[in-house]
Amino acid sequence: MSRRGPRAPGREGASRAATWLLGLGLVAAWLLSAAPVPAAGPSSPATPVPAAAPRLLSARVHAPNELRLRFSAPLARLDPENFRLTLALEPDIPIPLQDVRTAPGNRLILTFGQRLQPADHYRLEVVAPPLRRDVKPATWALLLTVMLAAALINNFVFTRYLGLCIFFGVSKRRDTAIGMGITFTLVMIFTAMLSWALDTFVLRPLHLGFLQILVFIGVVAFVVQFLDTMLRKTHPGLHRRFGIYLVLITTNCIILAVPLLNAQSSSGPLDALALAAGSGVGFAFALFLMSCARERMEYARVPQPFQGLPIAFALAGLFALAFMGFSGLDFFR
Amino acid sequence: MTLHVIQPRPRLTGREIGRIVLSMTMACLVGAAVLGAVYLGTDRYRRAATETSEREAIRDMLGLGADARLIEVRQYLAPALRRVVYLAAPFGGAAGRAREVIFTLDGALAGERSLSAPVAEPRGLLPLSRLFVALRGRELAGFVVEGRAQGYKSVIRFFVAMRPDFEIVDMRVIETQDDPGLGAEVAQPWFREQYVGRTAEEIAHLTVTRDPMPEDWKAALIAFARRAPDGPARHLALLQRERRRPVYAVTGATISSRAVTDGVKNTVDHFRRRWWLLAPHLEGQL
Amino acid sequence: MSTAPQSPPTPPPTKIASPVPSARELILNGILAENPVFRLALSLCPAVAVTTTVANGLLLGVAVLCVQVLSSVTVSLAHGLIHPRVRIPVYTIIIAVWVSAIDMALQAFTPALYAQVGLYVKLIVAFAIIISRLEIFASRQPLAPSFFDGLGMGLGFLIALVTIGAFRELLGSGAIAGIPLAPGKPLLFFALPAGGFFSIGLLMAFFNWVERRAQGARAKAPSPSGGHGV
Repeated sequence: MSRRGPRAPGREGASRAATWLLGLGLVAAWLLSAAPVPAAGPSSPATPVPAAAPRLLSARVHAPNELRLRFSAPLARLDPENFRLTLALEPDIPIPLQDVRTAPGNRLILTFGQRLQPADHYRLEVVAPPLRRDVKPATWALLLTVMLAAALINNFVFTRYLGLCIFFGVSKRRDTAIGMGITFTLVMIFTAMLSWALDTFVLRPLHLGFLQILVFIGVVAFVVQFLDTMLRKTHPGLHRRFGIYLVLITTNCIILAVPLLNAQSSSGPLDALALAAGSGVGFAFALFLMSCARERMEYARVPQPFQGLPIAFALAGLFALAFMGFSGLDFFR
Repeated sequence: MTLHVIQPRPRLTGREIGRIVLSMTMACLVGAAVLGAVYLGTDRYRRAATETSEREAIRDMLGLGADARLIEVRQYLAPALRRVVYLAAPFGGAAGRAREVIFTLDGALAGERSLSAPVAEPRGLLPLSRLFVALRGRELAGFVVEGRAQGYKSVIRFFVAMRPDFEIVDMRVIETQDDPGLGAEVAQPWFREQYVGRTAEEIAHLTVTRDPMPEDWKAALIAFARRAPDGPARHLALLQRERRRPVYAVTGATISSRAVTDGVKNTVDHFRRRWWLLAPHLEGQL
Repeated sequence: MSTAPQSPPTPPPTKIASPVPSARELILNGILAENPVFRLALSLCPAVAVTTTVANGLLLGVAVLCVQVLSSVTVSLAHGLIHPRVRIPVYTIIIAVWVSAIDMALQAFTPALYAQVGLYVKLIVAFAIIISRLEIFASRQPLAPSFFDGLGMGLGFLIALVTIGAFRELLGSGAIAGIPLAPGKPLLFFALPAGGFFSIGLLMAFFNWVERRAQGARAKAPSPSGGHGV
């Protein structure tokens, strides 16, 4: 299909209006999400400290039960009563501190009587010098974890079984698989962020959660229509290459599952972005692997009842089995 | 954005655009109205269903009759003030007074008062945990505490039921998304019933072993979980031998087994410490 | 077969003058000849995802059945009001409304089962099978045939899900609908994601084989097309 058939004029007019509306909406969403979002939970950039007092430069959890601190100057008090570490969600139960050791370079190693998880969120309080500090993994590490989990551990195709219709339909040839993978990832990110903005700033404050499905499917349809129109007008070459995949995306349930999952866990803008990107990349990866295997399958002798879809399902089963090896993969372990 | 390239379509009359817009708007409005009506109609039942299933689970775990009363205690954090707030009220919005008790992070009492009507969801407070207290008449009948642990792939949520002397009566996994063969088995009766019958002191020193579980113990645990007539007797007979031994891990799921055991340990320990602080101040409720 | 509409939007539907098939034919067509899962290979996601047990398959099957029948009836009743140029968006809205309604009803009345299949119930809205039946059938036919067509398609889906669920539950945990049947150690593999793919592959191959045998017995000649086109 190199050129689309005669266009229905009504759709053009409607889509022109939609294009403008959507453009405005996107700019608004971008502005809103770029505005500083108040951090969830207690965050305290330390109480005011006299200039001479040692400052806490870094705090990191080391498995199985150590907390490593680095100060700008040596500490006066090193007794265990000087330190209090709790889980962020259990602030009333201090974790028993067994031992405080010093290390060169104003470092302290606190050993606790209980297992600590580097991925958890802790809270450290020091009496002298008075300071409070949240101890948690860096944001980029958390985002990378979300992305890796979405792409590999909980791969949407092989462990959550979503988007199978498109998956089996488009994985016959490698170049179509690559085209679909790229298009899908981009549209996924676009849709997920727009849905996230609508959910966070409109549906949730107005208690309209029951309209979620209606709104999200509307967003998908609008984004696809918008990109289709834009691409045809501005980059006809690109449109010839990728336009067909755009139309197919509307019937892929992953594009709807990601906004729903984001809404379910009420994630922040960065988490939503990481999940969208991870699931897109995961789908593209699955599609690519499958298309490589299916191109080879054409040269194999398949028993007649198994020809076509049944053997493709068996292949997907083998991939799913291989992907089980990723479960338990942990960035922090 | 290069929107200016889009050419106007001459063939579309204004009247037709109007009809299209009207058609879409009507469809959206009717749809939203239908959904709003369905939401209003079903929301009551959804809340009631959640409440009933929790009530049934708690009754079943503690072996309570219909006459028992349940009190739900919710724990919140007031982040700015560094206070822990407990709200105790009859479970599921039943008639009765609510009580609010506030502590500092170090466990000193910072305030207590009775509320005439239970507050649904207090503003500005961060929810931390929930627990349920069961009463038979004026007498304490047991506790159910919600706990969580990081499993192999997902977070495992569970309920631990305790007698008033903190001996474990039951343990149930409420939610896990781990795969079968890779951790989902911690929800199996023969694994979770291993905690039952141990005292709080024994739980505090519980370890996990990868040794295979003795066949007679596994059979007794399954009989006990199925409420077989001879279940309690068989369980009790072997418990005398097993209570000094560690918990047997699920084969191939040692990480999840350890995580759940640590989770039960912490849940019981933290609950006991909180309860000693809280119990004297719940007079109006107990 | 194709998995999704690959052609440009078709012109607005016109009434077909062909005789309307009977209710029995329509229902049988959905269950056998055009079974959405085994024959059309549409809406496969839930077929693998929720069929670890019979009960899960049944719940989702019933949800799809309701959505399909209700949407078909709605479209058949309202097709005079829908502007032909925006019919696909309007169909999507109709489906989304019914899916949301069923979703809320299941959440309220079967909370325990819903907890396991919740996400997939919401995703019914993206099933190609429902919108394709609306476009192909319900928008051109009067109320009664649309109803029976929706019923047939929904039943076909329901039966497919329950079959796969029974197959996997029997092999994966040695039971059907929670009643233990098979003695010995179950094959854990079939309860895993990978086992779901294999089960569907095996069942599809089995239906292909049965069909070929039936054709062979009838015509004594090998059928020109074996298996599916994908």
